[in-house]
Amino acid sequence: MTTDERLEILKELLLTDEQKPEKDVYKKIKALEDKQEHLSERVNPLMDARLNAFVQEIPKTLGPTITETLKTEIKKSQDAVAEALYPVMGKMIKKYVQAEIKKLNDDINQKLNKTFSFKNWFNSKNDHQKNAAALMAELYRARIEQIMVIEKGSGLLKANYSKTQRMDEDMVAGMLTAIKSFVEDAFTGEKEMMLERIDYELFTIHLQNFSKYYIAVVLTGIYDDEYKSKLEDVLLDFAQFVINEDDLIRPNQFNRKLKEYFTDERI
Amino acid sequence: MSVSKKIVLLGHFGVGKSSLLRRFVEDTFSENYIVTIGVHIMKKEVSIAGEQVTLIIWDVEGTDDFTKYRPSYLMGAASFIYVFDASREVTYSDLKYNLEHLSEKYPHVPVHIIGNKVDLVDANILQENLLSQNIKPDYLSSAKTGENVEQLFENVAAQVLKND
Repeated sequence: MTTDERLEILKELLLTDEQKPEKDVYKKIKALEDKQEHLSERVNPLMDARLNAFVQEIPKTLGPTITETLKTEIKKSQDAVAEALYPVMGKMIKKYVQAEIKKLNDDINQKLNKTFSFKNWFNSKNDHQKNAAALMAELYRARIEQIMVIEKGSGLLKANYSKTQRMDEDMVAGMLTAIKSFVEDAFTGEKEMMLERIDYELFTIHLQNFSKYYIAVVLTGIYDDEYKSKLEDVLLDFAQFVINEDDLIRPNQFNRKLKEYFTDERI
Repeated sequence: MSVSKKIVLLGHFGVGKSSLLRRFVEDTFSENYIVTIGVHIMKKEVSIAGEQVTLIIWDVEGTDDFTKYRPSYLMGAASFIYVFDASREVTYSDLKYNLEHLSEKYPHVPVHIIGNKVDLVDANILQENLLSQNIKPDYLSSAKTGENVEQLFENVAAQVLKND
């Protein structure tokens, strides 16, 4: 018998009592492990069900709190929100306007289709397209909103005709003159140049210079080269054949002339 | 029938041109110090001996160098109102030089000289200073208290009508 074998027999003799609890503990651990597996099998579906219910209930339970928090945060930093949304909103509005114009165009085409018989439409397809274009042009054509005759230099308003009262026309005339003078002073080089047009949102301000005064016409709609040319002609005629020296010192008389000449939108 | 006349307020920075105008047009005075940028236009109708005159008042940005005033802003004026700060000598020490420049460039435009902010200065000291420099303002005013503001603009309106 070797020394190791002898030592082993001695260990068994001496440590019998201590080995028993160790085996008991091992058995208990094993039993617990088995139970855990069974427990997992039973608990896991329950946990999943509760989690699903919780997720489904979030809009009801946490929804109002989240909404309220977002509202508060948006209120606190409106500028930042506006800055972030501005480009997106811009694109959305642009798309919306494009879609609306397309819809309108389609509506017009539909109406035309109804108006003209198929045979006529087929025979006059070119005419039909021209009609649609004409209707669109009519819809968006430039319209005069206000006309001001303003003395050069002083910026004093000499006559005014407005469809709607927007702002104090005397102050507008003064500020237009100041802006015009500023731009002309700032950008005139060797050659004298005149400010001829100001665009602001939906408005275009057409400026036409004469020797003692200039005429500012506030327009909405499409101000294209063709319209500009016609407007220039009309204003030239007005200056040549309608305005006289006396008008510049008689504002009431001048206002009447302006109204009579431009009420029917002869352009 | 009302006639419209252009009046231009001139002067160094911070002499109270805008405050004078606001006091006259809106009858308010702002304690906040806001330097005018570029030009600001206001309008007020005044009745002089039964005759209506509409003053279109151009409040032009203050400058220490009157030669730098944009000529187009001054053109067509019926009258200039030259405002200096009575509490700051630097704003009236070059008054004569500036008046010469104005009379050379705009010989037919009358100039009214106004010493503003009199509420901030001892009247005797101010009189001594003005006398020593041979300056005779048409009015001493205060936009803050409203002293002489109405009178000065009415006086300007009356003279404008008289010259018309």
